[in-house]
Amino acid sequence: MLSCLGCPTLSRVLSTGASRAPVAMAAAVASRAPVVSTPTCSQNSMTLVRYNSTAQQEKPKKTKFGPLADQDRIFTNLYGRHDWRLKGAMKRGDWYKTKEMLDKGVDWILNEIKVSGLRGRGGAGFPTGMKWSFMNKPSDGRPKYLVVNADEGEPGTCKDREIMRNDPHKLVEGCLLAGRAMGARAAYIYIRGEFYNESSNLQVAINEAYAAGLIGRNACGSGYDFDVFVMRGAGAYICGEETALIESIEGKQGKPRLKPPFPADVGVFGCPTTVANVETVAVAPTICRRGGTWFLGFGRERNSGTKLFNISGHVNNPCTVEEEMSIPIKELIERHAGGVRGGWDNLLCVIPGGSSTPMIPRHVCDDVMMDFDALIQAQTGLGTAALIVMDKSTDVIRAIARLIEFYKHESCGQCTPCREGVDWMNKMMWRFVKGDAQSAEIDMIWEISKQIEGHTICALGDGAAWPVQGLIRHFRPLMESRITDFAQKQQAHA
Amino acid sequence: MLRLPTLSRALAGAAHSKGSIPTSNNVRTSVRALSNLVEVFVDGMPISVEPGTTVLQACEKVGVQIPRFCYHDRLSVAGNCRMCLVEIEKAPKPVAACAMPVMKGWNILTNSEKTRKAREGVMEFLLANHPLDCPICDQGGECDLQDQSMMFGSDRSRFAEGKRAVEDKNIGPLIKTIMTRCIQCTRCVRFASEVAGVEDLGTTGRGNDMQIGTYVEKMFLSEMSGNVIDLCPVGALTSKPYAFTSRPWETRKTESIDVMDAVGSNIVVSTRGGEVMRILPRLNEDVNEEWISDKTRFSYDGLKRQRLTQPMVKDASGQLVNTSWEDVLTRVAGALQGVQGSEVGAIAGGMVDAEALVSLKDLLNRLDSETLCTEEIFPMSGAGTDLRSNYLLNSRIAGIEECDHLLLVGTNPRYEAPLFNTRIRKSWLHNELQVALVGHNVDLSYSYNHLGESTQVLQEIAAGTHPFCKVLSQAKTPVVVVGSSALQREDGAAILKAVSAISQNARASSGVEEGWKVLNVLHRVASQVAALDMGYKPGVDAIRKNPPKVLFLLGADAGCITKADLPKDSFIIYQGHHGDVGAPMADVILPSAAYTEKYGTYVNTEGRAQQTRVAVTAPGMAREDWKILRAISELAGVTLPYDTLDEVRRRLAEVSPNLVRYDDVEEANYFKQANELSKAVNQSLLGAPLVPPQLTLKEFYMTDSISRASQTMAKCVKAVTEGAEAVDEPSIC
Amino acid sequence: MAAYTNIVRRAVGQLTGHGGIKGFFVQLFRANDIKTGALVGIDKYGNKYFQDNQYFFGRHRWVIYTTEMNGKRTVWDVDGSMVPAEWHRWLHCITDDPPTTHPPEPKKFLAKVHQINLSGTLNCYVPYSTTRRKIHEWVPPKVGEQ
Repeated sequence: MLSCLGCPTLSRVLSTGASRAPVAMAAAVASRAPVVSTPTCSQNSMTLVRYNSTAQQEKPKKTKFGPLADQDRIFTNLYGRHDWRLKGAMKRGDWYKTKEMLDKGVDWILNEIKVSGLRGRGGAGFPTGMKWSFMNKPSDGRPKYLVVNADEGEPGTCKDREIMRNDPHKLVEGCLLAGRAMGARAAYIYIRGEFYNESSNLQVAINEAYAAGLIGRNACGSGYDFDVFVMRGAGAYICGEETALIESIEGKQGKPRLKPPFPADVGVFGCPTTVANVETVAVAPTICRRGGTWFLGFGRERNSGTKLFNISGHVNNPCTVEEEMSIPIKELIERHAGGVRGGWDNLLCVIPGGSSTPMIPRHVCDDVMMDFDALIQAQTGLGTAALIVMDKSTDVIRAIARLIEFYKHESCGQCTPCREGVDWMNKMMWRFVKGDAQSAEIDMIWEISKQIEGHTICALGDGAAWPVQGLIRHFRPLMESRITDFAQKQQAHA
Repeated sequence: MLRLPTLSRALAGAAHSKGSIPTSNNVRTSVRALSNLVEVFVDGMPISVEPGTTVLQACEKVGVQIPRFCYHDRLSVAGNCRMCLVEIEKAPKPVAACAMPVMKGWNILTNSEKTRKAREGVMEFLLANHPLDCPICDQGGECDLQDQSMMFGSDRSRFAEGKRAVEDKNIGPLIKTIMTRCIQCTRCVRFASEVAGVEDLGTTGRGNDMQIGTYVEKMFLSEMSGNVIDLCPVGALTSKPYAFTSRPWETRKTESIDVMDAVGSNIVVSTRGGEVMRILPRLNEDVNEEWISDKTRFSYDGLKRQRLTQPMVKDASGQLVNTSWEDVLTRVAGALQGVQGSEVGAIAGGMVDAEALVSLKDLLNRLDSETLCTEEIFPMSGAGTDLRSNYLLNSRIAGIEECDHLLLVGTNPRYEAPLFNTRIRKSWLHNELQVALVGHNVDLSYSYNHLGESTQVLQEIAAGTHPFCKVLSQAKTPVVVVGSSALQREDGAAILKAVSAISQNARASSGVEEGWKVLNVLHRVASQVAALDMGYKPGVDAIRKNPPKVLFLLGADAGCITKADLPKDSFIIYQGHHGDVGAPMADVILPSAAYTEKYGTYVNTEGRAQQTRVAVTAPGMAREDWKILRAISELAGVTLPYDTLDEVRRRLAEVSPNLVRYDDVEEANYFKQANELSKAVNQSLLGAPLVPPQLTLKEFYMTDSISRASQTMAKCVKAVTEGAEAVDEPSIC
Repeated sequence: MAAYTNIVRRAVGQLTGHGGIKGFFVQLFRANDIKTGALVGIDKYGNKYFQDNQYFFGRHRWVIYTTEMNGKRTVWDVDGSMVPAEWHRWLHCITDDPPTTHPPEPKKFLAKVHQINLSGTLNCYVPYSTTRRKIHEWVPPKVGEQ
């Protein structure tokens, strides 16, 4: 998902090296001084808990991640085998004690989310608890809004649609809880235009929730008024970028806005807004219900929780599966996707986080773990955790060229580097596919991609530049040999 | 276009919340008052700026220019050209200087390796699809892209792919589009929607296929459309009348003043070889900012047509034939000498400079005549023109930005004074100005409270019975503007009385300080204020009632007096620069210089004296007005005591010192007295609705002798009425 | 000796060969020359053509123009274009055969009647200007048009 590509950590590491990340995080916190007060208190309370329970303190560091036990799954109807309507959802535990959770108050919800260590599931991986607490500034009279980004357009990613199709009540309940946590008046779910069935299921779920008094005026009997609206997009990938999404909701052209002001200051209709991914919102009720520490128990430190992984491409059994974070990529593919077509040795490379993340070749895949930090160390990113697996039959240059064509088509045309640069890269990549180029042009396209990266308003430019960089980083010999082959063929013709 | 206050308020708040001092809403104002400046460094140089200042503005303060294409001072920030990227020390990514507010302690590196690389990269991308047709591009020599690519770009191109081409669009007879050259900075789009207030331009398509245009082919219907030519940083939007005529380095620039309306826009006249090539705006924050109206910009070709270049005289058959100056001057002098002083009258037109006005007045006074009139009427009952504050736009044009409630009476400022209307729109957009209008319901490019067009409404507001009075009484800084066109009516005095009463009531209820002025008159012609300052009688009633034997028309082309109003044997002298309405009825024609051809003083509707300068010499035998009058006076035996321009201006200063205090507005504040005097007026309002003469765009273009002679303006009228295709010419390139 | 005699004879012939004192001066002022030669022919307009091969080539054929041509007095106001086409070729040594002995073939592009050259007069041909006028002056309406 695009919103995530704005990820400060990822882009920083890719551009300046990993060591800066913590500094940058700290800076991000410091720059929002007025809102830090809440997190500080909650951290205090967390420390208190630690003192009391010695067991946790001495807990040995977890070294093995996955597979996820069935009782720990959040999305229990991921494959649509059960009833997705309100009745079925309540049977699976949705809407259970929602009123009580609401009654516990904003601070409790925020604290649970913070304790859980949930990071945004859209791809950027910004800590969700912190993001939601930005909204708890003293009100200046403007209403606040929660916007749920369900414009899942990233090639390879198909996790949100499963949630909306088969577990829509998780999302609706999540909207209510997240909305409560940030004091939002209403939630707008911006759903991709192509997701027709998903949007109808979601609308049905919302209608059911309204009818049952779960949302709307006095939601769940908690005295809190909360509305949920579904807004269907018109099929632009760029509308998955949070500010473009806001523009689109406002009825304008879906073109990203300049930041600052951030949506938390001036968002949809000029009001403070938080844009969150579907998965982030949908896991919130379960985290609150089962406790943040339960969620924290999965995955490595700073990469906690469970996550939906989409595995597509050259695997025997492409699937969407909920797994523990930090599961090794090899185990994920072997266990759930039935292995790479033709065996693990037939693997060429994997794009680990949806089309905008750089690819990693097989030797990296052997032992890398699927979480934010491990993939950043491997010079790629977790993104939306949508693995695109390519075996050795793939023409990897052509695959990347096709991706760049996608970005060229989806560039909004607002800012120069993306508008002109991606088009230029696209033209060059298709020449590389044939080999009709000079080997010096490989350095040139690298430079062009560097000229795009980090120079644009939104992250689409970065997302278009990274696949090319990934290709050159790992497959430069292939590109060069294709160029020489082509030159030889030309000579033979002549 | 959304009105922006909420957004800007939020932005201000956001800027604050990012500062290190935690503030809440109620203390924000006091914090601002304490002027807590943020210290930043530009290339190591420390500078303190207000919070919320952008990086670009901070750099400009220390004199470092950041290259930019999309950013423009007077438009909203788009931040999409990315040319202004600068490195901030310790920041991972370069930031767009035009949009990023500075934060405490930032060190902005405007010439670092990273900054230069970012600029070069963006420049390379911009040039990738930009055609290299500089030799045939009208923007050549004044092109931002050209200049900045020389300054910041690479010395060679690596782009070897095919270039994109875009179809040109026909957006009217004024603006030529070569859309392939467009770099999508969207300045024109933002200008149209923010300043001009017409949502005609926009972007269609996305990615590399993004285009600027009107979507369906139509004309860019705005009285301010020409400004996009100046705004366009490349040659995508150029001037159609100016196309392929000259290069900026060939032209000589003369700073001057526009006389097409009473605003007195500051202009630069570009000339080459004794010919006006084009007219550009000149920056004056108090008058026109940096915009000018289309009439100002494009009617210059009227200066080359229908000109009076030779003195003419009527022969025995009544045909006007060319003659010499000696001949006409003796004839005129003879005619003036042959009659009594009371039998001489004069009418001054709308584009006459103050020097000519004072010479004419002196001449006629020496001949013992007091019949000096202007074409525009101003009610003389009550205070009349005795109190200067009675006929000025006292609040000033820039003063509109401080006002919170504006009442327009019987005027259509959009076409009577486009720049004034732009100010109102600016204030409406940014300062939450509330506008109300009594008069015909016209499109002012902003929303307003239409109170009705009957004079009844005016009376009710004056009496305090109208519901709008409640709104007006809430105003902190009210302004009332009455259009000069409304005062042309027979009940002008009554209208002025009502407006004066409304203003006085609004002032009383607002409790605004003494210096604030409420009552304003918006004039339509450039010479009126100077003429009234000098004691000309507004309106030609005196002449109509008591027809003179010798009538001197000084550029009078409004047709207030026709041959039918005068006795058969009357002798009419026309002195002016165009053969328009006045010249055909004259017995003698004295050709004079137009505003680009003389040093002239003009006083705009605010009472601001400004001077025009000689850009080209007057054509043929035409001479400056005051010189002609001086010559006549000598032959008529009443020699005027000035031989040089300085002496004329000394005389002007004698008459009224404000006339030569250039670029200065003389305060005038006698509203109370004027209101008291107006109570003596016992004229009743007529039933006819208040309808200004210029209602739609097509009535805007041709209003005076110059614009009526202009072919470009005629094309505009045709295009507005029949559609842009009606005047489409085959494009040369 | 004979050469000197010849010179003297020619000089006397030049002084007397133009019809007396008046004729001499008329000839002197019209042609700026007093040379005499053999009359080769007279064209239809009355121009007389002479030849004297004793003169240097180029000065050996000349014309004494007629005094009236097509109604115009041409005593003093003469013009090279007054020579008709058939004599022009003889006069300029394009041919040695004068039209008196070799009548020219009629050509339809040759003018039947001589047209006077208007160059330098008020009525001369002036090509229209191709430069744009900078100022278009006002043309007052004709009386009675209104």
